[in-house]
Amino acid sequence: MVGLSTGEKRFIHGGIAQDLRSDGRKRLHFRPFCVETGVIPQANGSARVRLGATDVIVSIKAELGKPSSFQPDKGKVAIFVDCSPTAAPEFEGRGGEELSSELSFALERCFLGGKTGAGAGIDLSSLIIVEGKVCWDLYIDGLVVSSDGNLLDALAAAIKVALSNTGIPKVNVDLGPSPDDQPEVDVSDEEFLQFDTSGVPVVVTLTKVGRHYIVDATLEEESQMSSAVSVSVNRHGHICGLTKRGGAGLDPSVILDMISVAKHVSQNLISVLDSEIAAAEANAKE
Amino acid sequence: MEYVNPLTGFRLDGRRPNEMRQIRGEIGVVAKADGSALFEMGNTKVIAAVYGPREVQNKGQQINNRALVRCEYSMANFSTGDRRRRPKGDRRSTEISLVIRQTMEACILTHLLPHSQIDIFVQVLQADGGTRSACINAATLALADAGIPMRDIVTSCSAGYLCSTPLLDLNYIEDSAGGPDVTVGMLAKMDKVTLLQMDAKLPMDIFENVMQLAIEGCKAVAHYIREVLLEHTKQLECHRGA
Repeated sequence: MVGLSTGEKRFIHGGIAQDLRSDGRKRLHFRPFCVETGVIPQANGSARVRLGATDVIVSIKAELGKPSSFQPDKGKVAIFVDCSPTAAPEFEGRGGEELSSELSFALERCFLGGKTGAGAGIDLSSLIIVEGKVCWDLYIDGLVVSSDGNLLDALAAAIKVALSNTGIPKVNVDLGPSPDDQPEVDVSDEEFLQFDTSGVPVVVTLTKVGRHYIVDATLEEESQMSSAVSVSVNRHGHICGLTKRGGAGLDPSVILDMISVAKHVSQNLISVLDSEIAAAEANAKE
Repeated sequence: MEYVNPLTGFRLDGRRPNEMRQIRGEIGVVAKADGSALFEMGNTKVIAAVYGPREVQNKGQQINNRALVRCEYSMANFSTGDRRRRPKGDRRSTEISLVIRQTMEACILTHLLPHSQIDIFVQVLQADGGTRSACINAATLALADAGIPMRDIVTSCSAGYLCSTPLLDLNYIEDSAGGPDVTVGMLAKMDKVTLLQMDAKLPMDIFENVMQLAIEGCKAVAHYIREVLLEHTKQLECHRGA
């Protein structure tokens, strides 16, 4: 819980109204990203993203599984988020579960599309090995280590970075004599395939404080929000998912306005992330 | 399985029997916490965050003449080799939380902070044996970072006995070999043992050797932690421009 005095609240509101926030940013400026890849060696891919004092780790593990009977030509992806009590004492015990599941579902909506798997930000058909028989199950685990607002955007960015860091083992498939046999799959320990991340979206959350909206709100700013809209946008400017949070109602025209702003901001964000990913990969190789 | 090569005397990961894994400590990894630290022992990696001393949240738990110390140990889903979704508060975590709490309580000067509460949260990012020890070492660094008064720094290290050789700082493979695992926590300067745990059986005289080895390990960790703290303090001084 953030405890703010009336003066502090007014300061935040006033700063946002004048396009100069408490930390010197403008309304549509992100805090600097700090990206690290390969932080969890046991995983197929992992990333740590720091956005100011917000700190998240995402690890991706690929396991062999069976595709569901509804979508025999697609692999499966599951996203779980955990809020560590290190981030805030309120997350102790079961205290973080509500926020954890809210974040998990919001991320699933942004990355995995609907129940049918159509319109997913992650290309699910690239995870198939033998149609209807064997596929990759991708487990995306997020951990919030430190929280200073805008967790959703940070987690989404970390997932994008971790996916670009993910190597899925190459497999040799022996189909067996009859088509009913369970195929034998030989997983290579040495050869890895890079995951195609060009279509993976980023999430931009616009937080409405007073009459204006801002990106990348800190915890203090979030405590003053009336509502927030999280838009996930891919490289082509297509919207992959949308979540509105907060109690206050929004005028439909404002929402459309926010979406177009989010679209604009996301293109910057994607190019920033791309260069950070390249820098992190170069660092990891050294 | 041979855990110690009979010819060269080296262990599976290339260490000597009385050699510790590489340790690394870093202070101030969680910006919002009052004190925080990251501690690595080889591939084992844990983060500890300390909140407090602060007002007691649950008034029923308030203690009038000393501080209330609480601890929670949690493991990330991706911390172990095979991914597993674990429920919060399983028996193992509860036990380790209790062990860490008792160990830290022994070194915190709780009588100086009456009516207050100190929360220690440890989060395991990677588990490769010796998470208990790593958590205690991380918690010590985090408590020191939070400026909480302590008698001494408490450090921990484990030792085991495999292939008739006492081994320092077991990793996961050695830990799951089924041999005895002695975890010692001690106040380094005062030379007092605050935590001692062992599973499996061991003859008395060998136990003495193994425990001595673990104690030496604790002292080495204490030496390192002191260096980290000193370095951190120097940096703070530098930032202040003194």
